[in-house]
Amino acid sequence: MLKRSKECIAMLLAGGQGSRLKVLTESTAKPALPFGGKYRIIDFPLSNCTNSGIDTVGILTQYQPLELNDYIGNGVPWGLNRNFGGSRILPPYAQNKKTEWYKGTANAIYQNIGYIDSYNPEYVLILSGDHIYKMNYAKMLAYHKKKGADCTIAVLDVPIEEAPRFGIMNTAEDDSIYEFEEKPKHPKSTMASMGIYLFNWNILRSYLIEDEENPKSHNDFGHDIIPKMIEDSKKLFAYKFEGYWKDVGTIDSLWQANMDLLDSNHSLNISDTSFKIYARNYALPPSAFYPSSSISNSMISEGCSIKGTVKNSIISTGCTVEEGAVVEDSVIMPGSIIHKNASVFYAITGSNSEICEGAVVGGRPEESKDGEWGIAVVGRNTKVETNKRVLPNEII
Amino acid sequence: MMKMIGIVFSNIYDASMGDLTKRRTVASLPFGGRYRQIDFVLSNMCNSGIHKVGIITKYNYQSLMDHLATSAEWDFNTRNGGLYFIPPFVLQNNGVYRGKLEALYNAVNFLEHSTEEYVVLSDSSTICNVDFSDALESHIASGRDITIIANDEYKTGNKQYIDLVLNMNGEEVSEAAINVIPDKDDMAAMGMFIMEREYLLKIVQKSVSHGLCHLERDFIQRSFIDGDLSINLYKYDGVVLRNTDVVSFYQNNLRLLDENIRKGIFKESAPIYTKVRDEEPSYYYEGSSVKHCLIADGCKIEGTVENSIIFRDVKIEKGAIVRNSVIMQGTVISKGAVIEQAIVDKDVFVSPSRLLVGAASSPIILNKGAKV
Repeated sequence: MLKRSKECIAMLLAGGQGSRLKVLTESTAKPALPFGGKYRIIDFPLSNCTNSGIDTVGILTQYQPLELNDYIGNGVPWGLNRNFGGSRILPPYAQNKKTEWYKGTANAIYQNIGYIDSYNPEYVLILSGDHIYKMNYAKMLAYHKKKGADCTIAVLDVPIEEAPRFGIMNTAEDDSIYEFEEKPKHPKSTMASMGIYLFNWNILRSYLIEDEENPKSHNDFGHDIIPKMIEDSKKLFAYKFEGYWKDVGTIDSLWQANMDLLDSNHSLNISDTSFKIYARNYALPPSAFYPSSSISNSMISEGCSIKGTVKNSIISTGCTVEEGAVVEDSVIMPGSIIHKNASVFYAITGSNSEICEGAVVGGRPEESKDGEWGIAVVGRNTKVETNKRVLPNEII
Repeated sequence: MMKMIGIVFSNIYDASMGDLTKRRTVASLPFGGRYRQIDFVLSNMCNSGIHKVGIITKYNYQSLMDHLATSAEWDFNTRNGGLYFIPPFVLQNNGVYRGKLEALYNAVNFLEHSTEEYVVLSDSSTICNVDFSDALESHIASGRDITIIANDEYKTGNKQYIDLVLNMNGEEVSEAAINVIPDKDDMAAMGMFIMEREYLLKIVQKSVSHGLCHLERDFIQRSFIDGDLSINLYKYDGVVLRNTDVVSFYQNNLRLLDENIRKGIFKESAPIYTKVRDEEPSYYYEGSSVKHCLIADGCKIEGTVENSIIFRDVKIEKGAIVRNSVIMQGTVISKGAVIEQAIVDKDVFVSPSRLLVGAASSPIILNKGAKV
């Protein structure tokens, strides 16, 4: 009997700590972080897979995985509950000869060669759980086949002044990659890697084994595997992506990406019903607005109770804004309570946080002294006591 | 392990809902911003540990089947249970059933093939958050033939005709009245009954052979008068909304705006499940005004909304005003239009500057898919 196989499967690197997000990711993995009122960051790559016809996704977890495991569950919200394939949580595990943590992105895939082999795929797509974007991977796969590539890397054309922050692909006219530079001081190109790699599995497999045998390697795709493949003159191509893509690795970028959703001409087009972003649903009733509420330019998810004023903000599932409370230019994560007469300006409040009566979190930039202003952050399950002041840029 | 199965009637009150049930069952009638009426009884059953439910249908049940699909949202996709559609079994001469007893005749097979000892029967238009497992305990402890779940409707001040009203003598039922407004000390049945499965099979066989069709009138009232039926009354103290006609349906939707009523229906410990549609959160534009409303996901609100229930994916354009209304999924209220005291069904398009005003005692109904 012929072995059953998948043409293309995805491996999603979801073990990242996201240490630059500070208190927000202190007790949970970054991909599990709430985004956009009702989503988690991981909903984007998972929904992209579903919408691209990829139904087999290995999710590699390592750092604080409990919430993420619970969230993924059996994969039903994304249609990833398949008889053959579907979503699988892949933590590091004890092995016969040696047992170790995932040392790097490439090593994480190396340790799961057995899982990938069980689907006998032709192609493996490597994704990360750090970005907000909508992308049809099927188009990238078609491009990969057309080019006869060994590896295709999705790239974004970034402004030249931002290029030094990224891994930059230097490409020839046919988009083949001849050089990769990690955060170059003097970039030769503006093609930034999006951390999305598509490989022919047989080639990647041999590179992973070779890389593992090299004690000097960092076992990382960007640092080791890709440069080695370029050195060996393998066929690497850059696939230009056009559309919204945002790394939400810092407090500022997380806040900005949320605020971007308030622009109705936003290129992410979250309300496009032909390419929905799926999320686990918590069976909450519609949001209730009281006679004292005042709402402007805001997104409000279900299960909320709004008596106060909300302006230019994202209010996530199951939040309460009491009478006289003011929320402006802020991201309120699920289950938070903003008590009476409390104010929140230019801030992110983590899941189940509580801002007690009369407390003030953050401040408007125009009211702050130069150089001292920034987004204020209240951590998960954190309580800001009555009448307390959390300054702009402060993280508690 | 749960010893009880559920049976839900999907078509009771179809006739009194006018155009709202023209192309759907009462069970699949949208209610409360993101639900269908049947979501409440199914969630109650699921939260009570019941895993096997038969749904008795009569006609127009395509939308109901579409809504329930895999039944995974209510956790009925289990190995030892599940959701069973029981369509009408039409014999050559008798047509489809006339009452609940006749309807239950179609469920004989379902009942015979179950092994659970007890069964709970329920309408789908009574909105509440009741724990059937507690009612079952009361039933078993009472040793009576039937347990009727009922509430003190007189106390709420609602003057609504109730299918079955029980006159009480202390804790005991003294009389059973059909289709009356409950008086002081009366208990209003909620259309939910618990009995042994074998007992139900017996009365269904007997009733059908005698040409009886109406559960409350032909069986409960008659047998009770004859002294052949012992009744245990399970008093439910929570919020009960009975959607028996267009006006009660309209008023009960708006009653959800009362925080206490809402808290009595939506409980964190016993959620109400519904089909997930994955809309984005609702967006409120600059210049919008929302006061005293319930609004579901996927809406775009630019205009003014007051004292209303707004379902998923509704668009209310700039300058439009919606007051005292129920606006169902996918409807667009264009610029400058004014809607008051209305039930606007799914996917309606109200063109710019239209003025549509109903009365609280007789709300305007805009039919599904209408363009006005």
